[in-house]
Amino acid sequence: MKNITVFFFATLRERAGMKFTHLEIPADATVANLKTILGQKFLSLNGLVESSLVAINQEYAFDESQIPVGAEIALFPPVSGG
Amino acid sequence: MNPRFLWGRKSRCFPQSLEVELSDFPTIALITEEEIDLNDLVAHVTLPSTGAAAIFAGMVRGITSRDNPHETVYLEYEAYKPMAEEKMKQVADEIRARWNTVEGIAIVQRIGRLYPRTPTVLIACTSPHRDTGVFDAARYGIDRLKEIVPVWKKEFGPNSEQWVEGDHLPEVLK
Repeated sequence: MKNITVFFFATLRERAGMKFTHLEIPADATVANLKTILGQKFLSLNGLVESSLVAINQEYAFDESQIPVGAEIALFPPVSGG
Repeated sequence: MNPRFLWGRKSRCFPQSLEVELSDFPTIALITEEEIDLNDLVAHVTLPSTGAAAIFAGMVRGITSRDNPHETVYLEYEAYKPMAEEKMKQVADEIRARWNTVEGIAIVQRIGRLYPRTPTVLIACTSPHRDTGVFDAARYGIDRLKEIVPVWKKEFGPNSEQWVEGDHLPEVLK
């Protein structure tokens, strides 16, 4: 197992009811695995995590990406700046 | 302007024979809650060799007529600041890779609660002449910001509130 921190933004922050959380995930977990874990842990995020964008240590990551130990993860909807 | 937000970049397009020591081109990549000072930002990206600046500013639109007509009371912006500023630097790098005549680049996104007629975002690119693609460079800057920079806005109308969501296009994030 390894420890990570997950930050939520925009819709996900509101639905999760928090800005971030600390999690313990399996050592070989990928982004896809993490989405499943988050969907189970936060029922309010059901239906939302699957289509969320994910960043690992402030760089975009994709379903197959491995999550390093101590990673800073961010979960958020498609961006809408400007 | 806080110098912390200025990043230099080595020039690659000047002849070796130039006598003066060539300094880095200025790049500003900034998420801020402060008012966007257009004159100050343009001054920071204007060099002695600059003859043109293309500036794009985005505003909060209070009345929308196109597509889904509606009224906006204010917008609430938030950002994943450290990543957003890194992605803005990436946008600046991409601009320079496409238009090697671009000199200074400023990319600034204001966050917080912003009311109609308020500038929310600024892209400024400078170059020696106007016919070198500098307009396209600024256009690319705002289009790319809207694709990859992690900023979100929630729209508050007279009787409603709603997150504005961008298009889900994972292929453009790489």
